[in-house]
Amino acid sequence: MTRITNDRELAALRLSAQSLLVPRTPVIAVGLGTCGMGSGAQELYDAIAEKIDGTGVRLKKTGCFGFCAEEPFISIYRPGKSILLIGSANKKDAAAFIRAAQTDAAADKLSAKAFARIDEWDFISSRVRFGEGYPSVPLWDETPFFKGQKKIVLRDAGLIDPENIEEYIAAGGYAALQKTVTGMQGAQVIAEILASGLRGRGGAGFPTGKKWELMRKQESAEKWVICNADEGDPGAYMNRNEIESDPHMLIEGMAIGAYAMGAQAGFVYVRAEYPLAVARLSLAIDQARERGLLGKGIFGTDFSFDLSIVQGAGAFVCGEETALIASAEGRAGRASPRPPFPAQSGYRGMPTTINNVETWANVPWILARGAAAFIAAGTERGAGTKVFSLVGKARNTGLVELPLGTRLDGIVYGMGGGAGPNKRVRAVQTGGPSGGCVPASKLDVNVDYESLAAIGAIMGSGGMVVMDGDTCMVDVARYFTSFTAAESCGKCAPCREGLAQMLRILETVTKGTATEADLDELEALAVSIKDSALCGLGQTAANPVLTTLRYFRDEYLAHIREKRCEAGVCEDLFPALCVNSCPMHLNIPGYLQLLKEEKIEEAYELTLRGNPLPGTLGRICHFHCQMRCRRETIDEPVSQGEIHRYLADAVHKMGRQKAVWARLASEKLPPTGKKIAIVGAGPAGLAASYFLARLGHEVTVYDSHAKAGGVLRYGIPAYRLPRETLDNELGLFTKLGVRFVLSTRIGTDLSFDALRSSHDAALIAVGAEADKPLGIPGEFLPGVFPGYAYLEAFNEKKVKPPSGRVLVIGGGNVAIDAARSILRSGAAVTVAYRRTREDLPANEAEIKGAEEEGVAFVFMAAPEEILADSSGNARAVRFVRMKAGSIDATGRPSPVPSGQHFEIACEAVVSAVGERVDSSSLGKAGPGVAELAADRNGNIRIDRFDCRTSIEGVWAAGDAVSGPATAAEAMGRAIRAAFAMDRALMGADRSIALVKNFAYANVASADPVGGRKHRSRRLAVDDRRNNFHEIAAGYSGEQALAEAERCLRCDVK
Amino acid sequence: MEKQVTLKIDGREVTVREGSNLVDACAAAGIKVPTLCLLPEVAANASCGVCVVEVAGARSLARACVQKAAEGMVVSTSSERAASARRTAVELMLANHPDDCLSCTRNGTCELQALAELMGVRRRRFPRTRKLREAADRIDATSAMLERDEDKCVLCGRCVAVCRDVQTVSAIDFVGRGSHSRVAPFMDRGIESSVCVGCGQCTLVCPTGALTEKDETEKVFSLLRDPLRTVVVQTAPAIRASLGEALGMPTGALVTGKMVAALRRLGFDRVFDTQFTADLTIMEEGSELLERIAEKGTLPLITSCSPAWIGFIETFYPSLLPHLSSCKSPQQMFGAVAKTWWAKKAGIDPATLSVISIMPCTAKKRETKRPGMASSGFADVDYALTTRELARMIRRAGIDFARLEEEAFDDPLGASTGAATIFGTTGGVMEAALRTAYEIALGKSLPSLELEAVRGMAGVKEATIDFGGTPIRVAVAHGLGNARKVLDGMAAGNSPYAFVEVMSCPGGCIGGGGQPLLTDAADRKTRQEAVYKEDRLLPLRKSHENPAVATLYKEFLIKPLGERSKELLHTEYAARKV
Repeated sequence: MTRITNDRELAALRLSAQSLLVPRTPVIAVGLGTCGMGSGAQELYDAIAEKIDGTGVRLKKTGCFGFCAEEPFISIYRPGKSILLIGSANKKDAAAFIRAAQTDAAADKLSAKAFARIDEWDFISSRVRFGEGYPSVPLWDETPFFKGQKKIVLRDAGLIDPENIEEYIAAGGYAALQKTVTGMQGAQVIAEILASGLRGRGGAGFPTGKKWELMRKQESAEKWVICNADEGDPGAYMNRNEIESDPHMLIEGMAIGAYAMGAQAGFVYVRAEYPLAVARLSLAIDQARERGLLGKGIFGTDFSFDLSIVQGAGAFVCGEETALIASAEGRAGRASPRPPFPAQSGYRGMPTTINNVETWANVPWILARGAAAFIAAGTERGAGTKVFSLVGKARNTGLVELPLGTRLDGIVYGMGGGAGPNKRVRAVQTGGPSGGCVPASKLDVNVDYESLAAIGAIMGSGGMVVMDGDTCMVDVARYFTSFTAAESCGKCAPCREGLAQMLRILETVTKGTATEADLDELEALAVSIKDSALCGLGQTAANPVLTTLRYFRDEYLAHIREKRCEAGVCEDLFPALCVNSCPMHLNIPGYLQLLKEEKIEEAYELTLRGNPLPGTLGRICHFHCQMRCRRETIDEPVSQGEIHRYLADAVHKMGRQKAVWARLASEKLPPTGKKIAIVGAGPAGLAASYFLARLGHEVTVYDSHAKAGGVLRYGIPAYRLPRETLDNELGLFTKLGVRFVLSTRIGTDLSFDALRSSHDAALIAVGAEADKPLGIPGEFLPGVFPGYAYLEAFNEKKVKPPSGRVLVIGGGNVAIDAARSILRSGAAVTVAYRRTREDLPANEAEIKGAEEEGVAFVFMAAPEEILADSSGNARAVRFVRMKAGSIDATGRPSPVPSGQHFEIACEAVVSAVGERVDSSSLGKAGPGVAELAADRNGNIRIDRFDCRTSIEGVWAAGDAVSGPATAAEAMGRAIRAAFAMDRALMGADRSIALVKNFAYANVASADPVGGRKHRSRRLAVDDRRNNFHEIAAGYSGEQALAEAERCLRCDVK
Repeated sequence: MEKQVTLKIDGREVTVREGSNLVDACAAAGIKVPTLCLLPEVAANASCGVCVVEVAGARSLARACVQKAAEGMVVSTSSERAASARRTAVELMLANHPDDCLSCTRNGTCELQALAELMGVRRRRFPRTRKLREAADRIDATSAMLERDEDKCVLCGRCVAVCRDVQTVSAIDFVGRGSHSRVAPFMDRGIESSVCVGCGQCTLVCPTGALTEKDETEKVFSLLRDPLRTVVVQTAPAIRASLGEALGMPTGALVTGKMVAALRRLGFDRVFDTQFTADLTIMEEGSELLERIAEKGTLPLITSCSPAWIGFIETFYPSLLPHLSSCKSPQQMFGAVAKTWWAKKAGIDPATLSVISIMPCTAKKRETKRPGMASSGFADVDYALTTRELARMIRRAGIDFARLEEEAFDDPLGASTGAATIFGTTGGVMEAALRTAYEIALGKSLPSLELEAVRGMAGVKEATIDFGGTPIRVAVAHGLGNARKVLDGMAAGNSPYAFVEVMSCPGGCIGGGGQPLLTDAADRKTRQEAVYKEDRLLPLRKSHENPAVATLYKEFLIKPLGERSKELLHTEYAARKV
């Protein structure tokens, strides 16, 4: 290769290399970064290479375009046309890719599968136009993942061949170096960097220009520049990709820095675990040297600079500059106190400047475009962009480059697409193990150095780990602490010993053996270490603990007080995931095993001891147990709930139910003499009464309805839950001595004060039954019915079933139940929902049932007004058509009005857009009630752990506390409240007294049996759409047994 | 005048030299900031976190040991934040420290113990995170000189710094990461298999019982209890200037007479003086020097009294071994003479005679076991105890040292001169040798007996003595790092010297690795002054004037470098492979 010795030669080469960038022949480029290769990009490349001879198509390697979730990523270019980007490219399609590169027709055909297109691209100093076409394919920066990104550091990544210096030069590379060394003084370069406001991208954000200035002022014949490429944060790989995709930008940046500061040599300290980065960088250095861009007399000047690579063994602490220097010198990577700063005495005791990959990478861009252009992106105190690796539970993972100051929620929900359907983002960990956990409630933070620091997190080198509800925040803190404890260099006592102690405490929390005093100790230690550790590693290592303690303290307390890990991560705290997920924590593996052993009665008794309404819940539950069943990793979750129902039905049929009930009644603890009032005979009130009665208390349940059951009776249609089943199971409560005072509304028929004074304790379990208003004109017209109230009246046969066309607004279970009930009365029903089918919050089985039965659905429709006919009755609803906006905190695209309007004519409207607590049922103005603290939504405030309300002697549970939730969740909270009440009344934890041990085998099969789950017989559509007969017949004995066999017994440890 | 800065410490203004660290600045303000890892003679390590103080406006606490005082700085040493972090640092170090203070060598002298007391630690705040290992697994007893109990190490790094930066030996270093960090010799092969030369400087700076001399006091006690055994003791020159200190007297207290009295009370049959053989060494070594000069032998001649130094040159510079004087050290010469000439004179069977030496040195323990150190057919010296071990024996025996009446050494091996006394300090052997060599060569006394050029604490000292028109250049190095500088010059072939004195330890034997703990520069200086004072006060100040030495030659050795001298008083060296 010929050396480039002046600007003319560089320009000439740039011109001649243009054809590499915008070729005259078709090109297929395969992204061959480490992530791409991990997804099979090399195999894809080979498959294309095998077929490409003689096709006239060139195959080229590029780095990574940044969209990891879509690897392998290829681009197809036909001269004069846009570049087509294809994600998740399969090697089986190799031939199709080649054909698409060969002909316009094939390209057009393939474009349907394209992720995006690129018409033109902004390289370092100029805009390159590739071509146009494929109008139906979105432009790359209009796709959610790339929208809002700005590529400065990743300017060439995925577009040029990182192994060919000519492509870099074609893209404008080394022009900044040439301009610098031939036309600028070192001080001018530094002035430009200072003016750009560039700050260190390694995490601390020290102004780069200032750092350079310090070094420049040092008088020394020998000076060093170092690139810190020791990226070691779990989940962070920006630097690796930057080197793999565009190694020359690093070389050029370092050469410019060396010129500015008067250094003659430098090296890149890169971890040996990055073999591809090392190989590409090494090749790039060789090429730059051959071209005379490194070495003696660069661009014919007397500036000489050479670069080498030092491979680190992969110690996290070597990212700390004093440790990095020690390591590069061949000593153990241990931090030293500063001063002296490396700029004074660094590598081999000489003045040294260390910047990380990304900082160096920004330098050529700033010199090429000028500081002003750099400042244009970002904020006042944080100019330019930052690359983040967005990983974890985000739907779209990958590298994103954003102007500093971009809002975190925009990144997580916009580019990241949230946590996926049915999952909520709980927190985002920024800055790796030395960063902090930003809770979902603080995601409106701007991503810049100061704003993140203000909430206890840091920018760090750019790790961004998205966490959802399946992430235990205590475990996150434990994980990061175990990382930093292991990676601590061990020199200073606060870090070495302190992190080990923090880890020890965190482990006791995850094992459930910690006390609250341990938590105080943890916090004190964290503060102390942050304050007194020697280097950056130690000073920031406590951040994950401090932020999780700050934002998720309740989660720590749940581990300590209740030995609960709600996320289902800390395995010492629960026998199996299904048990942990079940709000009532039923011993599911236990009853499955007893059933397997054909001890049906015992199996039933075991379920009954945890849940007084097994037959009822087994029919209507959301089956939280199934949501985390490990069997799902093989085929489908075990139908624990169906079996639950089967046990209740079977024992009832066998005539053994009463015997079991009698056994329970006989085991009641001796009378305590305490009187307890429960307000509300729904699932929560019933569950609490069941446990409190068994504990020996005198329990009275008050309800305004004529019968007990609450939502089970008045909300759920009979085709889901036959009333006989409920009535039968309610018999247990009477058997246990629970007294029901019905048709009595507290606050009206009996004052709340009177209730309190006549009982030792009271539990409010009134549920959430008040319909939320639609808030649109026409809502109060005749013919418009609030959903839950209507359903209740309907179930009670208190209203005349409507006829004609009925429009149900909403998508929850109340909406679907109403729709199907009304349908059964002969009306034509349409459900209108403002989001998509996938977003419907109702149970999937119910939605399917409604669809089968002929309920019509209109999606993406938000009601604007209910229109009246001349007689003043509702006649139609006017909707606005919605379109998908950005992902919101629920993990779904938020619907936004499209501007299109339409009407749906109808004879009646049911509005079922949610329910809330109506504590006015307790007599809002009544004495004593006013002090019942509630939140904005009207939910009663309780202590999370002992379930007490703000009123002495009054507890609360169920939907009244949580807002609308499932029956099982309400019952779970009520059971917790019941034991809390018992503890308060009796001064001791007596829960153990109700526990009975059942003998069953504890063996996990090494060889899981059974295929997919068994499905129970259901009524055909024609047999059910005109009546209220129960649809699902439940398991047969064989089915139940076979289904139980599918359990993996992951509780056996 | 140096630039001064004024800062406020705990509300009090104080002005200090610019560049002072906050430990010194606080001291100037009358506040002693506790420290642990700080070793003023070595670069600050800043590892322990015990010295943190609060500097107004700083994000985190500052380490007073490395933080420089700055104009206008506002420092709080006792804020809740600083005090709590300091105590936490100590409590964290205590977490994995064994709870065996009562049976630890350092009980009562342990700095960690003292810090715990200072911080008001009254309970174990943190449980162990690492299992305490069995003694056999954690104690490295491979060395004849030192013992290392890894679980007592708090990783302050002082031993590593002394070994690497002062002695340039680097026998030990940090290994492992995080809470697996340890200090260990190369490949964990045990001290004996490492490059350790046994200087014992690490035992002097170790704050806890992690590094100690190999304690042999029990063995000596049992010899003393044996009625069939004659046990004689020799005391090195530097002991008399440091034993008092080890027993609670002021630094530099000269306790020669009390020491003799105490040794008698411990039951030694004769109390002799290594200074006797120091004089003898001068006779032999001085003659060797003159012979080499006369016969154009290998020059410079280098002294050989310091056994860690012998280990050092044998390990790191074996090609320079011909430069070493073939003289045994005074300790070994003493044993050889005691078990031959004196035993015969006293009518004692050398098989029943034990020679114990009291040395400021840990390396002396290994020296007794070197090959060629059994001239009489029995080990020249049976046990070499350090100053610290002797102090322990005296305390254990209940001897009220301070109130002892002074007593004199026994004859004839108790006689010595001022020349022998100054063996205890750097430059002393050189000065003593020149006093005698000059007189032997020129037949007249040196113009001044006190050669200021080789006194003091400079690392390498040089002097040129006019030997009747022939200038003889000599050099003195103390501390192995300084020795290395001289050796590097020699290895490069441009050494201008005829005679070089090397002592392994900073300050020479008065700063030896067996001396009282926490010996620092000021202590060494005070002890040095004591040694010079003793020399000045003695009637005889030249080795060749020692009458007992003269008798020894007359009756037994005949002449320096004679046949019997060579057999008993000289030895050989060999490259040491580790």
